[in-house]
Amino acid sequence: MKFTLFSLCRRYPIWVAVLLLYAVASLVSPAMLNPDQVLNIVRVTAFLGMVATGQTIVLLTGGIDLSVAGVVTLVNILSTGLMLGDNGNIFVAMLACVAVAAIVGVTNGVLVAYFRIAPIIATLAMNSILFGVALVYTGGAPHGAAAPAFNTIAQGDILGFPASGVCWLVLSIAVAMLMRKTVFGRWIYAVGANARAAAMMGVPVRLVVVAAYTLSSMLAMCGGLLVTAYIGNPSLGIGNSFMMTSVVAVVVGGTALSGGVGGVVTTIAGALFITELNSFTNIAQASTGAQFVIQGVLIAASVVVYRLLARRPRA
Amino acid sequence: MKIFGDVSRRRVMQLGAGLAGGLLLGSTLARADTLVDSVVPATDEMAKGIKKSGKLRIGFSNGFSGNTWRTECLEQMKIEASANADRYDFIVVDGQGDITKQVNDIEDLIAQQVDAILLIANSGTAVVPALRKAERAGIVTVPFNLPVDGEHWTAYLGTDPHQKGMILGEKLNDMLSGKGKIVGFDGLPGNSYSAGVWEGAKPKLGPGIEMLALKDAYWEEDKAKVIMADLLAAYPQIDGIYSDGAQMAVGALRAMKAAGRALVPVTGDDYNGLLKFYHAEKANNLNLKMSLVSEPSWEGIIALRTAVKLLSGESVPKRQTIKPTRIDGDNYLQYMKPDLPDGVFVDTTLTDEQLKKLFS
Repeated sequence: MKFTLFSLCRRYPIWVAVLLLYAVASLVSPAMLNPDQVLNIVRVTAFLGMVATGQTIVLLTGGIDLSVAGVVTLVNILSTGLMLGDNGNIFVAMLACVAVAAIVGVTNGVLVAYFRIAPIIATLAMNSILFGVALVYTGGAPHGAAAPAFNTIAQGDILGFPASGVCWLVLSIAVAMLMRKTVFGRWIYAVGANARAAAMMGVPVRLVVVAAYTLSSMLAMCGGLLVTAYIGNPSLGIGNSFMMTSVVAVVVGGTALSGGVGGVVTTIAGALFITELNSFTNIAQASTGAQFVIQGVLIAASVVVYRLLARRPRA
Repeated sequence: MKIFGDVSRRRVMQLGAGLAGGLLLGSTLARADTLVDSVVPATDEMAKGIKKSGKLRIGFSNGFSGNTWRTECLEQMKIEASANADRYDFIVVDGQGDITKQVNDIEDLIAQQVDAILLIANSGTAVVPALRKAERAGIVTVPFNLPVDGEHWTAYLGTDPHQKGMILGEKLNDMLSGKGKIVGFDGLPGNSYSAGVWEGAKPKLGPGIEMLALKDAYWEEDKAKVIMADLLAAYPQIDGIYSDGAQMAVGALRAMKAAGRALVPVTGDDYNGLLKFYHAEKANNLNLKMSLVSEPSWEGIIALRTAVKLLSGESVPKRQTIKPTRIDGDNYLQYMKPDLPDGVFVDTTLTDEQLKKLFS
């Protein structure tokens, strides 16, 4: 295949879009080219990127995980409440978060796979439960703070690169390998493409679905921990924005909501794209309303573009 | 600690058994009784009371309960109500941030034939028909904190966002000596409170002040920090931060600190996190200043007392303005609560012990 601009656009549309948006943003505001700003975007993308990577796995099975917002909030409340600003409590706090995320993920998976509840309903209900639990746990008045050592995972750097970005990219690439190179990964795609056919071929469909929701929950927890470390404080509203943006990042990255098509690597680009867009609209003084409109238009446009690309025969 | 103005001006609001019941909760109520100083009629128009006898039932339709300000507000109302338990029952319903649910909640309270309905509206427009229905049913209605459209409610009380904005604008202008580039943070997109504060602040900023960007940060620290990180990249010079909530001010300051920039003057409200941050950083940042206007979380107590007053047949002003507290670098130590979480709003009648219990 010839390595032309056109073929690049066709094969890696979202990466081209990331670069294109960056170029446009830099023209409007040269500050975007500042290395510090590039690193800042990576640092902030990590929160959304982590959650979106988990969301990708679930979307690939043909499901959706709307409980990620509740997981992020509850993890934020739980980790700060248990750490109480003390480095000695980090381990216990993280252990509790892992346990909660595992329970949430397995429950989501069981509700979807065994009780055949529509994923959007099951995870929306779970989201509501998690937010309710966070409210009951705090009585509306959250206390505690993240430990200083813990905060370095989002505020610190590793060899000049944001630590949160390193966590996100390492984990996302690991998940990408899991999807591409292992039997489990192929099962995920098979379940998403056609669950019945997959079952007939001997894929343990239900277990695969449970595993997908569990991984999503775990990655949402990682996102929640990162954003907690970024701000260091509990906040009951911290997870809200992740419910939709995590889905948006995946879809813009090219993963189909219908399942079976897409991948984790393009979600990395999708998350970068969304954060870059927010950052650009912040700098370009776009109003919040304009920001929402632009985001909506780009989601719709991306779906149209992917459909058109899929129709064309490969060169 | 004297917070609320001059004692000689104090008129103790004598409403029913408030003082008699105060034995157990003496200190809180004693402080709450000084609150009357901080309430002024906003109009000459008076609302007529409806005299009711026997034990009263007062309902409170809380629009939502997901932040610490609301939690503190509700706690203070509960304390006030339990001190007056012989006088009235206090029924709380929670709209969970849902405009429709709150309307249903109010309808439920009407169906239960309560004597008064207090509310913090999720939408000042959506609750209008329900309040009219309450009026027809002879129920006293007292919306507070956030304004409600129309006239079909008995009495309203709250702070005046426009006045707050005027103070914040003037003080920010002073802190910057009338010159400099600033960025600003609002709460939820399109909310009338932020709009009112900004309308008040804008004309007070001198011609030498340039607003580089005014962004919605949802009154969330993390959102303000993320946005500020972008703005720092775009603008090499930021001399001040306008904000109508101090969570956003401190989030923005944390981003400045992370970027290694010198900290600058900010505005905001009585969020403990900013006071603690200021205390920790001021020695290393000579240019860090703050001028804050509180959003008193004891408004609910006044709303309860207003309802009781109306139900004993008295008249009250149709609109009352709550006077907020001003906090700055000179007096912040009086208000800062170093042992309590950042999320505490310090303009409260709750004691430190009560706050500790609430935030645990």
